[in-house]
Amino acid sequence: MQIDTPQVLFKNRHLGRPATFDEYRAGGGYEALMASVGKRAPDALLQIVLASDLRGRGGAGFPAGRKWQGIPAGYAGPRYVVVNTDEMEPGTFKDRVLVNADPHLVIEGIILCAYAVSATEGICFIRPSYESDAVLLEREAQVARDHGLLGKNILGTDFSFDLHVHRSAGRYICGEATAQIRAISGVRPNPRKGGPRTSVKGLWDCPTIVNNLETLANLPGIIQNGPDWFKSLARSATGAGTKLYSVSGRVARPGCFELPIGATLREIIFEHAGGMQPGRTFKAVLPGGASTAYLPQSLLDLEMDFDPMRKAGQRLGTASLMVFDQDTCLVGATLSLIEFFARESCGWCTPCREGIPYVRELLRRIEGGQGTEDDLAMLRDMIPVLQRAYCAFAPGAAEPVIGLLTHFEDEVRRHIAERRCPFGNPPPAMRGKACGTRPIRFGPTPCPEDQCPI
Amino acid sequence: MPDLIIDGRPVSVAKGVMVIEAAEALGIMIPRFCWHKALGAAGACRMCAVMFVDGPVRGLEMSCMTPAADGMVVETGHPEAVAFRRRIIELLMANHPHDCPVCDEGGQCLLQDETISGNHALRRYPGRKRTYPDQDLGPFVQHEMNRCIHCYRCARFYQEYCGYRDFGPMQNANRVYFGRFADGALESPFAGNLADLCPTGTLTDKTARYTSRRWDCQRAPSVCPHCGLGCNTVALSRYREVVRIEARENAAVNGSFLCDRGRFSHGYESRPDRPRLAAVDGRPATVAEAVQAAAGRLRAVMDRHGPSGVAVAGSLRSAMETQAGLIALARAAGWPAPAFFRTGKGQAAVRRALARLTPDRALAMAGLSRADAVLVLGVSPLFDAPMLALALRQAARAEAKIFVADPRPVALPFPFVHLPASPRHLAAVLAIAAGPAEAAQTAIQTRLPLSPELWPALTQAAAALSAAKRPALAFAPALAGALPDDARFGLFPVLTDAGAAGAALLSPPDAASLADLAEGVEAGRIRGLLVAEADLDVLSPALAGQLGKLETLVVCDHLPTRTVAAAHVFLPTTTLFESGGTLCTNEGRLQHLASVQPPGEPAARDGGGSHPPRAYDRPLPGTQPRPAATLCAALGDALSLDVPQTPLAALAATLPVLSAVDFAALPAEGLRPDLSALAVPPETPPAFPGGEGLAVVVDHGLFGDDELGRFADRPWTAAPTDPPAILLHIDDAASHELADGDKATVESGESLVTVVVRTSRAMARGVLIAACRPELAGLPPSLGPCGLRRK
Repeated sequence: MQIDTPQVLFKNRHLGRPATFDEYRAGGGYEALMASVGKRAPDALLQIVLASDLRGRGGAGFPAGRKWQGIPAGYAGPRYVVVNTDEMEPGTFKDRVLVNADPHLVIEGIILCAYAVSATEGICFIRPSYESDAVLLEREAQVARDHGLLGKNILGTDFSFDLHVHRSAGRYICGEATAQIRAISGVRPNPRKGGPRTSVKGLWDCPTIVNNLETLANLPGIIQNGPDWFKSLARSATGAGTKLYSVSGRVARPGCFELPIGATLREIIFEHAGGMQPGRTFKAVLPGGASTAYLPQSLLDLEMDFDPMRKAGQRLGTASLMVFDQDTCLVGATLSLIEFFARESCGWCTPCREGIPYVRELLRRIEGGQGTEDDLAMLRDMIPVLQRAYCAFAPGAAEPVIGLLTHFEDEVRRHIAERRCPFGNPPPAMRGKACGTRPIRFGPTPCPEDQCPI
Repeated sequence: MPDLIIDGRPVSVAKGVMVIEAAEALGIMIPRFCWHKALGAAGACRMCAVMFVDGPVRGLEMSCMTPAADGMVVETGHPEAVAFRRRIIELLMANHPHDCPVCDEGGQCLLQDETISGNHALRRYPGRKRTYPDQDLGPFVQHEMNRCIHCYRCARFYQEYCGYRDFGPMQNANRVYFGRFADGALESPFAGNLADLCPTGTLTDKTARYTSRRWDCQRAPSVCPHCGLGCNTVALSRYREVVRIEARENAAVNGSFLCDRGRFSHGYESRPDRPRLAAVDGRPATVAEAVQAAAGRLRAVMDRHGPSGVAVAGSLRSAMETQAGLIALARAAGWPAPAFFRTGKGQAAVRRALARLTPDRALAMAGLSRADAVLVLGVSPLFDAPMLALALRQAARAEAKIFVADPRPVALPFPFVHLPASPRHLAAVLAIAAGPAEAAQTAIQTRLPLSPELWPALTQAAAALSAAKRPALAFAPALAGALPDDARFGLFPVLTDAGAAGAALLSPPDAASLADLAEGVEAGRIRGLLVAEADLDVLSPALAGQLGKLETLVVCDHLPTRTVAAAHVFLPTTTLFESGGTLCTNEGRLQHLASVQPPGEPAARDGGGSHPPRAYDRPLPGTQPRPAATLCAALGDALSLDVPQTPLAALAATLPVLSAVDFAALPAEGLRPDLSALAVPPETPPAFPGGEGLAVVVDHGLFGDDELGRFADRPWTAAPTDPPAILLHIDDAASHELADGDKATVESGESLVTVVVRTSRAMARGVLIAACRPELAGLPPSLGPCGLRRK
C-alpha cells in the first residue's frame, strides 16, 4: 500500500519481519545516539525534547520533557527508565507492530531517554501475550550490546545503561504507571495517588521515568532532525509529530498506520483503512481504545490530537480506532467492554470494584431483553460515580457507556421496548463468574504483523 | 496555617492536615470507611466526598485526599455530595448481607451507621450477591468475608502499620479477598486491632462473639494492667463479666491500638475459682469478721514481738490506691514499710529510671515513634512490652535506625540490628553506642575486648546515634545508672509491671524488698505478714517457702494463688475492673481507670442458666470483695489506728514529686509530673550480675506470663504442661556437654528442676535464658558451675 505521508516510526517497516540492525543503521539509525552520548550534555537533549513538544503516547498526553524535568536536581543515586509496553487497552496494537517493525528504533529511543535523564537501568514492561516481542527485544538488545551501544561504557564513554525486559503477569491495571512500578517491585499493583511523583520516588523509591514505548521511539528522529522538524510533521496546530493509529473493526483494511497527529477520523477510516467493508455502513467508532466514547458519523471530522479531542469532550486515548457497522449491537459491544473492565479492575476503590459490575449487570439485563426504564436511570446514576474513582480506570470504563447513552440512546430503548436484542444477539449469560463470563486466555499470542497487509 | 470554611464555619488547621480532619476539628463527621487517623488516607472507599465550592480546589473531591488550603469553602451537605455518597453506599450494600440482627458487629458498625444516615433502605440493584468462603484466623479474630466492603483498613494496618505479611488482599476486581493463603492463626501480636478497625462485621473479636450487644454492655475507660506501658482501653462488661477489651485512643501513649496481650488477657476477674469469700482459718466468714480476726491476730503479733514483727508485702500489679493504703497502714501501725519489689536493687533501679525523666527528655510512645535512631537495651520489645514494638515499627517506617541490645534472640517486624550482649555487657554497650562515634573504636577495645561479635554492630550504632537528631534510648531500669547525660537522647524506661512505677514513687527509698522479708521470716524477726495482691510463689519463692513459720498470715487478693490458700485470714479484694484506680506508666504518666462493673458472681453462673438468672429475694452472690485500699482502712480502724481516708492523696501530698497532683481529677490523657526531684538512692554496683557463671535472663511470652494474665483462664494463657525450656548459646551448651533437645536440671531456689535445653546462635554468650514459668522463678541471677547439669 502506498502511503504519501512521512513515515518516521515505520520507515523501516518490512512485510512480515523486523528490520535488522544493519538495515536500521543504513537508514541513519543510531546516528542520534552517536551524536549525543559523550558529545552533548544530557540537559541539551532534554531541552530539545522540551522544545519539540513531544507528548506521551500512552493516552494521557503528558509532555515527555516536563515529566523528565521532575527528577529532583542534584539527586545522587540510581535512576530508572521504565518503558511501558503493557498495551492491554482493547483494540490497541501499535506498540507490538512498532517493536516488530523496527526494534532498534525503540532501543535507541530508550537509550536516548536514559542519557537525557542519566538513568542506569531500563526496564521494558511487556505483557505476557507479547512473548515473541519480548524475545525479539531481548535478542536485538543483545545485538546493540554487542555493538557497544548498550551496557557498560556506551560508545566508550562513562555513560552506562542496560535494558531488561520484564514480563508482566498480565493485568490491564499494570499499564498505569504507578501500578506498573509496584508490579515490577513484586507487590500488589494498586495505583498510587498523592505523594511524590514517580519521577521523584518511583521504582525502589528512586526517580523513575515511565514512558510509553511509542513516545520513546520518537526520540531518535527528534534528536536527529530537531524540534521544528518534529512539530512540522503534525497536521493540527497544537500537535507535534506523527502518531500510530491502530484501526480495527469493520473496515476494509484494518491495520496500524503512521499518520500525522491531527489527522481526522474520517481520513483515517475512509482513506487509509479503505473505508467500510463492502456492504456495510458506518455506525460508530471508538477513537482511542476501550476507554473512550463512541463517536457517531457526525463527529468524524474531529482532529485526532490531544487538545482538539479534549476540547470536543473526547479523549485521544491510544488512538486505536474500533469501527462498528450498522449491524453491530452497541449495547452488546459496550457490555463486552464492560466485561473486560469489570474483570480487570484492581479492586482498590468502590466505584471501580463495585460500580463496574453494577453497570455490567444492568447492561446484561438490557441486552438480554430484561431491561427496564429504571435500569436506564440506574445506569445514568452510576456514571458520575465511576467518574470519581481513584485512578483513570473507572472513568475510562464509563466512557463507552456515556457514548452509548449520548448518541445511541434509541438503540438502548429499542432493547427495552422489544424485550430482546434488536440485532438478534443471544442473551448474555446472566450468572457468569463474578469476574467475567469468558475464560481468560493467558500466554503468548502470535503477532498479527506476520500477516501484515503492507 | 491554612484557613478554610467548612459548612459555613471557619477553621484553622496545621499545614498538611486533610479536609476530613479539619472538619473533625469542628465536630463535623464526614462519612468515611477507609480513612483512619492512624492509617491515613487510602482514597479507596470514596465515601468522604464533599463539595469544594470555592478556593484552590473546585468540585466534588475526597476530603481524605485533599489537604486543607487557604480559601477553601467546603460544603459537606451539598446535594451533589450527598447524592454521590448515597450511590457509594448503594454500591457497598449491593453485596453486603442485609442481616444485621445476626451480625456480631450490629450496633457498633460503621457501615450500619452510614447506611442509615445515607438513607439507603431499599436495594434496587437486581444482581446476585457475591459470596466468599471464610477462614479460620485463630482464636482471636473471626472472619466473615461476605460482610467485607474492601476499605483495606485491615491490610494497611496488618502489613504497613505492623509489618506482618501473613494476612492481606488477594485476587483483583470484585473478588478481592482479605485473608491468608491458608487457614491458620494470625501471626501478628496486634491482630486483635483488626476487630476494632474493621468498619463492618468482617473481622470481629472472636472471644466476645455472640456474648453481648455493645449497647447492652457497661463500658468504662480503663488502662491495661498487663505491662508497664499503660495503654488506654475500654472495658466492656455484660452481666458482671468483662466480655471485651477495646483500644481507647490516647495520642501520646498507645495511639489507637492495643496489643493482643492487653486485649485478650482478661478473664481472671470472672474465674469460677476466684476467691470471693472472706475466710478465717479456712472457714468462710463475713468480711467484717475476717477484718476483726486479722486485726486481732496482727495485734497479738505486735504485742508479742513489737511492731517490727509484722511485715507487709504488696505487689506491682496493684493500683496506686492499694499501694498507698498499705503504706499508710504500715506507717500508722509502726510496721516497716511494705515490700513491693522482689529485690532492693530492682526498686532502686526503677526509682533511678524514673528520676531521669525530666520533661525535656522523657518520651512517650508517640515521641519514641518520631525518633530517628533508637537503642533498645535489655528489652525484648515484642514480649516485655509489645506495644513498644509497634512504636519502634513506626519509627523504622520513617527510616529510623533501630538497635536492640538484648541477650535473647529477638525477632521484630521491621529492620533492626541485634546486639546479642550479655546483661553484664549492656552498660558497656550503652556507653559505647551513646558515646561519641569517633571514640567508639577505642572504647570497644578497652571495654568489650572479648566480644568481637558485637564490634561491627556497635560501631554502626555509635555512628547512627551520634548522627541522629532525635536519638532515643528504651532501656530496662537496671541500666538507669549508666544512662548518658547527653541531653539529645530521649529516654523511655521499659517496666514490665503495671504498678512498678507507682510503687517506686510511693515507697520510701529504703523500703524492704520481698527478698528482705524472706530473710526476716527465716531469721524469725518477722512473725506476722500481711500480703496484698501478691502471688509469693512467683514473686519470691524464698518467702513463699517460709510462710509456714509465720504466726499470722493475712492475705488480701482476688486471684486463687497458693498464697491465698495458705492464708490464716483471707480478705477478698476487687479487681481493677471493679474498683478502678490509678496506675503510673513507665514514663511516669498517672492515669485513672474507671470501674466498669460491680463485684459479684457473673450472672451466667448465678441462677443455673435461667433468665432472669436469679431470685430477687436474696443478696447477689460473690459481692464480698472490697477494694484492697478499703480493706487496709478497715484493718486500720479495727486496730484503732489513725489511717487517712484517702491514703493516696494524703501520701502524695507528702512526696515532693506528687504533691501538686490532684488524683481526683486526672486529665483523660494522663498527667506526667516532673519526676526529676525524686530522691535517688546512692549508686550501687550494676544491678545486673557480675562475676562468673551463666547470667540468668527470663524470657517472656506474649500470653500468660504476667501475674494477672496467668490467671486469665483462657486456652492461650493456660500454663504449659511440658517441662520448661532453657535456651543456651550453642557454644555454651557444648561446653556444658549439652545439645539441643537434651534434658538437664537447673537449681531453682531449693529445688532441682528438669528442663529441656534449646540452643541458638542469635543470642549472647554466657547467658541462660529461662522461660517465665513459676517452677523457674527461684533461679538465681547468676547460675554457678553446678547450677546446670546434664540429666
